[in-house]
Amino acid sequence: MADNPVAHGAPTREFTITRVFDAPRRLVFEAWTDPRHIAQWFGPVGVTTPLSSISMDVRPGGIWQLPMIDDVDGTEYPVTFTCREVVEPERLVLTTRVRPGSGTLPDEAVLTVTFAELGDRTEMTFHVCGLAASEENAELENGWSSSFDRLAERLARVTSASTGAAR
Amino acid sequence: MDTDQLNRTFAALADPTRRAILARLAEGEATVNELAEPLPLTLPAVSKHLKVLEQAGLITRGRSAQWRPCQLEPAPLREATDWLERYREFWEGSFDRLSAHLHEIQKGSTNG
Repeated sequence: MADNPVAHGAPTREFTITRVFDAPRRLVFEAWTDPRHIAQWFGPVGVTTPLSSISMDVRPGGIWQLPMIDDVDGTEYPVTFTCREVVEPERLVLTTRVRPGSGTLPDEAVLTVTFAELGDRTEMTFHVCGLAASEENAELENGWSSSFDRLAERLARVTSASTGAAR
Repeated sequence: MDTDQLNRTFAALADPTRRAILARLAEGEATVNELAEPLPLTLPAVSKHLKVLEQAGLITRGRSAQWRPCQLEPAPLREATDWLERYREFWEGSFDRLSAHLHEIQKGSTNG
């Protein structure tokens, strides 16, 4: 974990998703770094990221623009990443800065994607760490821990019960 | 949704003692004495943490001077957990599609 950008900031919110894909590592890496692939999968069901509007400079410092279009009403949701690290075919580090007014997201999130070979398959580990700018509270250096994740689960149950919100 | 509120929430949650206090309050209201009991802390130290939690809007305290039970205030916590959940869902949804896409293109390449 050399030169992890997170180490220079105050990690405040993070999570990890691990997936095993039935595909060789080189192909999974390509699926992340080739616009023709990205256009096929980026964004959850309900949005499309058209190839014609994607621009990706896959080099450290390069900008990726992946505008998502709502399939129903055509609303465009701009998504911009800055490519920080490219180690083909094992590792990608991207950061994303959130525009003012988008409210609920942290100011910057660091996305670290690692690809490990499992025979013919590939284990992808996707880690998100949100950074909040202008944090004055020194206690934030503690960051989030797994104990907080567990607490969050318990609280989610409490809070959804108290409002009757359906999940 | 208010970014400042979210930041206050995360700042308050960053401390393990305060997380322990919130976890206890998730089970029901409690007094300062009850909260201090399982913690290796003095009452004034616990009171200090309660003040941070109260200022962040994560708990409320009863009015009575002697008997001021603390209660969990769910709204800001819900916003904080919702943020993470939404972002995670965004990526989980994308990775479902990535998995399908990888499957699809490999099927194509073996046929051709």
